[in-house]
Amino acid sequence: MSALLPVPVMLPLLAGVVLFLMRRSQEWQERISLAALAVNLGVALAIISATAGGEMFFHRMGMWPFPYGIILAADRLTGTMLVLSSTIIGACVVFALGYLKTAQRKEVFHPLIHFQLMGIQGAFLTGDLFNLFVFFEVMLISTYALLSVYYNLDQLEVAFKYTCLNVIASVMFLVGISFLYAQVGTVNMADLSVKIHELGPRPLMVVTALVFLFVFCMKAALFPMHLWLPSAHSISPTHIGAILAGVLVKVGIYAIIRCATLIFPGPFEKLQPVLMGIALATIAWGALGTLPQNSLKRILAYSTINQLGYIAFAISLLSALGMAAAVFYIVSHAFLKSSMLLGAGLNQKLTGTVLLDEMGGLMKRAPFASVLLLVGFLSLAGIPPLNGFFAKFFLLKAGFTQGFYAATGLALLLGVVSLYYNFTTYQRIAWGVGGGEVGTASPVMYSSVSFLASFAVIFGLGVAWLYEWAQLVAGQITQPDLYVSAMRSAF
Amino acid sequence: MIWLISITIGILVATGVYLVIQRRVIQVILGFSLLSHAANLMIIASGWVGDGYSPILRSIENPDPAAYVDPLPQAMVLTAIVISFAVTAFLLVLALDVYRKFKTDDLDEIRRLKG
Repeated sequence: MSALLPVPVMLPLLAGVVLFLMRRSQEWQERISLAALAVNLGVALAIISATAGGEMFFHRMGMWPFPYGIILAADRLTGTMLVLSSTIIGACVVFALGYLKTAQRKEVFHPLIHFQLMGIQGAFLTGDLFNLFVFFEVMLISTYALLSVYYNLDQLEVAFKYTCLNVIASVMFLVGISFLYAQVGTVNMADLSVKIHELGPRPLMVVTALVFLFVFCMKAALFPMHLWLPSAHSISPTHIGAILAGVLVKVGIYAIIRCATLIFPGPFEKLQPVLMGIALATIAWGALGTLPQNSLKRILAYSTINQLGYIAFAISLLSALGMAAAVFYIVSHAFLKSSMLLGAGLNQKLTGTVLLDEMGGLMKRAPFASVLLLVGFLSLAGIPPLNGFFAKFFLLKAGFTQGFYAATGLALLLGVVSLYYNFTTYQRIAWGVGGGEVGTASPVMYSSVSFLASFAVIFGLGVAWLYEWAQLVAGQITQPDLYVSAMRSAF
Repeated sequence: MIWLISITIGILVATGVYLVIQRRVIQVILGFSLLSHAANLMIIASGWVGDGYSPILRSIENPDPAAYVDPLPQAMVLTAIVISFAVTAFLLVLALDVYRKFKTDDLDEIRRLKG
């Protein structure tokens, strides 16, 4: 089983290189790309089913002795994130098959997606903080290229802005690593966990944790560093926006979870008010930011910020209950938001616009696409049989159980704003006045949107099952000793 | 010696930040490049051992690890340098594109032209 761990890194790398060499033939590129994604999903499913019993798997790269070499590690959280990323990126690539027929410079899309997938999956698998930095960069460089490759002026601007902000975050990541290395002399996550615990509470470690929090907030688009997200989501091509919202920001969230549970549990207790403040500010900014928007994609982008705030709030509770709510929220939001962004792209294809005022009357003009969006909006608003309701429910339950009445109450109150914007937006799309001819979209676009949207219903009806899994994940990650002893005994 | 490195890092950060807040794209990119050099030097400094030798073993019979500086940060910095090189190259290509489209690399001017 451990031998399987490098596959989610090596396979996309290999696929990316092969796809780049095959850029002359779009047909073969599509076939190889889809085959590689299918194998990748199979490997992710194998990893998640192997970790389901609570076992952890480790693989040493280059056979260096324990704390020195790069170690790939898989626990339940890693398995969950791998399945999530490979499924969503797979669906987005399928959607793109319909889109790419008319796009320019489409030959580099498939290779870049696979390089990006390599970075994302590597970040989920690695057990080494510096290696996490490297995989972040792999992921970011391919994202920069994906954002800028279609070459219109707005995209060029977005790509430049996104690149500049992330270069700053990368520099801060290195600064954080140097702070950490000067204090404890290691970058292996399990080793860091032990040594930071032995060192005891000290202010410099809290500052170090704060530096990492800053870096990962940038990737996860949390409050002071969220400004890049709306334009990146709304201006980039739909399928890339959907990957950004569904998977890429979750990598930042994943890194915050690893920091808060495994690497810096002590310093993060001191930082709890900071993280909670960031979370509430993000919720508020995202919720209120939707109100003046007139573009469906921008509304969805602000709603992503809003939802990320809720996830960060769940993490900031720093308990098994909070982490379970966070994992539940991550899984349901990832599928939901990528389905909605793809749905917005589908509507853009049908009506030729993303502006709400011009989209009106969609229910009559394109009922099926409209219903797909309806599922998403109802779930985002938190209407009971769908997963969005349960995600918020578990979060509020965890918050109130732990006695954060004021903060949780505020989060609940801001949930009412999201109820309002989701309903008014949908009202304007589906029933508002508008008209004009409806174009056609290829069936693959419909099928990938329906596939992702169906998870809103599946996770809503199978809520007990998903929450049980989230609790299992949370139980494992909130006991860092398990991770450390498993890694020690593996070598 | 560590004070010399500290001062160098300080100068690099100050110059880098000054350049990043300038108006011309090329200055911004050079600023980022200087900032990442500063971060790399910080990692080197974190593995610093007084007057240690460079980490190439002087004798096999008597290795004495305490006499050498820590080699791991140096390996990490090599990786970080390559990455920052790649990102700088990418930013320069973007800047070239911006210049071709607007015939200027002044960020305020570009904003005005975009309208």
